[in-house]
Amino acid sequence: MTSPGKFFQSPANAFDDFDPRSGSVLERALFNHRLWVLLLCLATTLVLGWQSSRVELNASFEKMIPTHHPYIANYLEHQKELSGLGNAVRIAVVNKRGEIYDADYLKTLQALSDKIYLLPGVDRAYMKSLWTPATRWVAVTEAGLEGGPVIPDNYDGGTASLAALRRNVQLSNEIGQLVAFDQASSIIQVPLLQRTPDGRPLDYTRLSQQLESLRSQYQSDNIDIRITGFAKKVGDLIAGLRQILIFFAVAILITTVVLYWYTRCIRSTLLVVFCSLVAVVWQLGLLPLLNYQLDPYSVLVPFLVFAIGMSHGAQKMNGIMQDIGRGMHRVVAARFTFRRLFLAGLTALLCDAVGFAVLMIIKIQVIQDLAMIASIGVAVLIFTNLILLPILLSYVGVSGRAARLSLKSEHAEQAGQHRHGFWRFLDLFTQRRWAALCIALSLVLATLGFVVSLQLKVGDLDAGAPELRADSRYNQDDAFLTRHYGASSDLFAVMIKTPASACSRYDILNKVDALDWQLRTLPGVDSTNSLALLNRRMLVGLSEGSPKWYELQNNQAMLNMVTAGAPRGLYNEDCSLLTLYTYLSDHKAQTLSGLVDHVEQFAAANNTDEVQFLLAAGNAGIEAATNIVVKQANREMLFWVYGAVILLCLITFRSWRATVCAVIPLMLTSVLCEALMVWLDIGVKVATLPVIALGVGIGVDYALYVMSILLGHMRQGTSLSESYYRALLSTGKVVMLTGVTLAIGVATWMFSPIKFQADMGVLLAFMFVWNMVGALVLLPALAHFLLPSKRVSTGPAEAEPSHPTSLPLTPALIEEGACVKHSLRLAPGLDQTATAAAHPVAS
Amino acid sequence: MNRISQASALLLALYLPFATSKCLAGPAAVGVPLNTPAMGVPAAQNGVLIDLARAGTRLVAVGERGLVVFSDDNGQSWRQASVPVSVSLTAVQFVDAQQGWAVGHAGVVLATLDGGEHWTLQLDGARVAQLELDAAKADQATAADPDAAMIRVQNAERLAADGPDKPFLALEFVDAHRGLIVGAYGLALQTTDGGATWHSMMGHIANPNGLHLYAISRQGPRWFLAGEQGYLARSDDDATSFSQLDSPYEGSFFTLQSRADGALLVAGLKGNAFVSNDAGASFQRLSVPVPISFNDATRLADGQLLLVNQGGMLFRNSEQTGAALLPLGKPLGKPVSSVIEAADGSLIVAGFTGLQRLAQPATAASE
Repeated sequence: MTSPGKFFQSPANAFDDFDPRSGSVLERALFNHRLWVLLLCLATTLVLGWQSSRVELNASFEKMIPTHHPYIANYLEHQKELSGLGNAVRIAVVNKRGEIYDADYLKTLQALSDKIYLLPGVDRAYMKSLWTPATRWVAVTEAGLEGGPVIPDNYDGGTASLAALRRNVQLSNEIGQLVAFDQASSIIQVPLLQRTPDGRPLDYTRLSQQLESLRSQYQSDNIDIRITGFAKKVGDLIAGLRQILIFFAVAILITTVVLYWYTRCIRSTLLVVFCSLVAVVWQLGLLPLLNYQLDPYSVLVPFLVFAIGMSHGAQKMNGIMQDIGRGMHRVVAARFTFRRLFLAGLTALLCDAVGFAVLMIIKIQVIQDLAMIASIGVAVLIFTNLILLPILLSYVGVSGRAARLSLKSEHAEQAGQHRHGFWRFLDLFTQRRWAALCIALSLVLATLGFVVSLQLKVGDLDAGAPELRADSRYNQDDAFLTRHYGASSDLFAVMIKTPASACSRYDILNKVDALDWQLRTLPGVDSTNSLALLNRRMLVGLSEGSPKWYELQNNQAMLNMVTAGAPRGLYNEDCSLLTLYTYLSDHKAQTLSGLVDHVEQFAAANNTDEVQFLLAAGNAGIEAATNIVVKQANREMLFWVYGAVILLCLITFRSWRATVCAVIPLMLTSVLCEALMVWLDIGVKVATLPVIALGVGIGVDYALYVMSILLGHMRQGTSLSESYYRALLSTGKVVMLTGVTLAIGVATWMFSPIKFQADMGVLLAFMFVWNMVGALVLLPALAHFLLPSKRVSTGPAEAEPSHPTSLPLTPALIEEGACVKHSLRLAPGLDQTATAAAHPVAS
Repeated sequence: MNRISQASALLLALYLPFATSKCLAGPAAVGVPLNTPAMGVPAAQNGVLIDLARAGTRLVAVGERGLVVFSDDNGQSWRQASVPVSVSLTAVQFVDAQQGWAVGHAGVVLATLDGGEHWTLQLDGARVAQLELDAAKADQATAADPDAAMIRVQNAERLAADGPDKPFLALEFVDAHRGLIVGAYGLALQTTDGGATWHSMMGHIANPNGLHLYAISRQGPRWFLAGEQGYLARSDDDATSFSQLDSPYEGSFFTLQSRADGALLVAGLKGNAFVSNDAGASFQRLSVPVPISFNDATRLADGQLLLVNQGGMLFRNSEQTGAALLPLGKPLGKPVSSVIEAADGSLIVAGFTGLQRLAQPATAASE
């Protein structure tokens, strides 16, 4: 057996003897100009650090929806004509002392209403509250109908005025609309413009802050203010994003501690953390330059980049440490490590990038942005953790104690001591009994997981705004509005295209009326509204309130008259588009798909050249389209991710058997992850798509690390058990470290006020940990049955160079340090030339 | 209680396959409501229901889009009947536990022989217009007033030209053969053979302005009609001809009901109600509790009258209460279009939000 001492005699060990002209062009370019590289990095960090202060947080409505889907295309095409549908804020002003017929209350309402009227981005012409002139009452008298504004023209706050207001409200049809059923609150309905008058897109953060400051200004012991609407929701989301900084700090702290526990070297630990943070700074700095903004989804990317940086940095450092432990000078160690690891590390990062890249197939812009931003992050890691880190390490070095520790188990074994208990435990899985047991258990888990995962739902399952937690202020406000006002916040709208000026034609309205009635009988539909329904109601009103006239009468003059006086929103300006509103009791996928299917069938049976029933608008309509896209993307993405991973494994391993061993644990994790989603009541949604891609894309790294080393040894004729042990010693520890740091990096999201971030955190942490367990336990068990140890007749010394191409190209190799070492041990006499031959990728 | 819930569970179980088979048909091309059978809906008792009637101990409610529901457990559970049209039905009446009629929009008259489970179409608006046109032309030859007869023919021609868009609003059947139906713009027809043939009554009811006729009440051979703009009419010859009465009010009347003591109560717009103890010769105003229109009135088993208004308030009136309308229970907070007493003394109300059963309010009423 070769002792490390022999290695020390290598001429390259001493700095003075080292030939700085050796190594690749890139290595020479970087390491022979270390100071320049450092200065360049410093300059970049300063510039991008300054840039990163310009990163904006935003969450545009259109970014979160699949704009290419025909439903959304229909919606976007008619968006301008669907007034007040897509984007409005509803502000309920509550009188805590009783009913709204109270002079003080009305004064506050008026003041607030006036302030909101002036906010930029408010569609002033269509803003509605008790104080706007468009809010009117109508009454039947012996002579006919009479009406007027709800707040009397001569309103003076006196008892008579308040009594008149109370009477007008009863006659206004606004109870359940603008006025709560209990008449203790009223609503300010604020439609928003897509762009502010100066042409800039509406700034939700600012609007939300302005609304919050109005809330704190007007909320008092007597007045409670509740705000709902997409703009407020996004504002709250962005406010929640700011808390992310705390989680980021926690993630940094914990991963640092873990890394220190692993290396026992403060110097190098801080260096790795520093480099990973530099990566995050660069990434954030690049975003404004490339015109990207952070949204609630992509804000998680820096966590991932940091965590990936930490694990790759740790591996890099591990290599250098072991070299230094063997007595090399730190510069030489850094260069050797760079030489061995640069390409491997690059490939590993490219592997991660595959996981991100697959996300690009989902035609939802937030996801594509996330994929792009993550790719930028990974690209940045190539510079910071593959170049900057070794150069910095070449200056700083590692503590001697840590360097010795890094070779401890190797030394221990050489000293004839027993293998570590944990390694011996893992080794059991290469034996027939344990392997069979493990596979049987996995089969049971897979079966159970599969059965449970059949119940996996698509879409959001919680009431209110699913992005936020159920007990958030927004969802409390939303529940308040749903409880005190008729219409729920889940609105599904069908658009009906008609010839110009024909929207009130009887034959068309008759169809709308039929669909309206059919939809109301579907499960999950609370109520509906349409011009047809208005005609029924208005005929009752025009017939002195007699319910016997509740009918859509085939009387065109009457229909035209009612249509002329219909409120905004039921049809467009040139009377060529009707809207049928459906208010739902929830936005579960089942409810939405039932609705969508029905309308599709109805449209197929009733669409003509003149009249077309088009899906879909309203938040639930958009969600229905999103669900359809997500459901399809979920399947496609699994296909692509696994396709990419399998291809990658095949290229790396050159063995379908090894590929099966590597991929099956991933599949088990994917199945169990779906079961976990069922158990935690998480539906497949926009937020869970990246989880699946990232979980598998990054998760395969573990299998790659372990399998490539294992395979390398087995191809030299070593037994499975021995090969696995070698793999564990070199990469196993790092696999565990990686699994833990990545899991910690994402697990902190669980405390996010944003529900989907918490969901993503749970699921990703689960996938990272379980993939790691799979790679360490199930992989050797499968290998036992699939990778029969072959007896190599030739001596190991010949075997090694005869299989150069069989060696993994990749990431795995990251740990190659150990691999090199073992080959040296197996082939005593081999010097650096042999090492280079064994690792063509590194030279 | 237990037995009742078991029974309703059984009914539900029987009903469900029926309901699903109807729903499974899926949406088809939308046709003319007059020719389209009413759609089976899962909770038909929550639709807009307009009128209520009793067929023996069975309760029957009719309403929007051809909706007919019936209950054999005093309104605790409801089943939907099969109806050949999907126009709104405005009034329903049974002469016994089996035989009944319902009228509605587009001039439809429906008849049932099985207590309201299955209905057949007896008449529609197009035939109504034709009947009236024929009658107007036939009467023109023998008319005493040729100008009036001419106007009637012109009106009938317009009625035929308009198409079937006008509703019947009330019906009164004396027995399985003879009945009167009235409706919008003074529509009125009579049958003497259970609806097999109809003849127009429009020439025999003094209604020169063609006002809507909302209600019929009968006391033996004496009949009353009430309608739009305070219209009141009486027939002393068993509905052969009607002459207009002097009205105490210019607003519309929506309901007519005879009290146990023979007094006639008429009620309508903005809470106005009147009682006549001399067969309509004179009326005494009842106190207006709130200015909300009365939609319906019914006579309870104990002879009291019960009125409901568009605010969901119930009031009672009897010989004892005189000119007072006494509130019964708390307001329901929603418009009520019709009310009826079930066989067990509970009250069933119908309205825009469906049916509601008020258990045991009769006790309160008799106190």
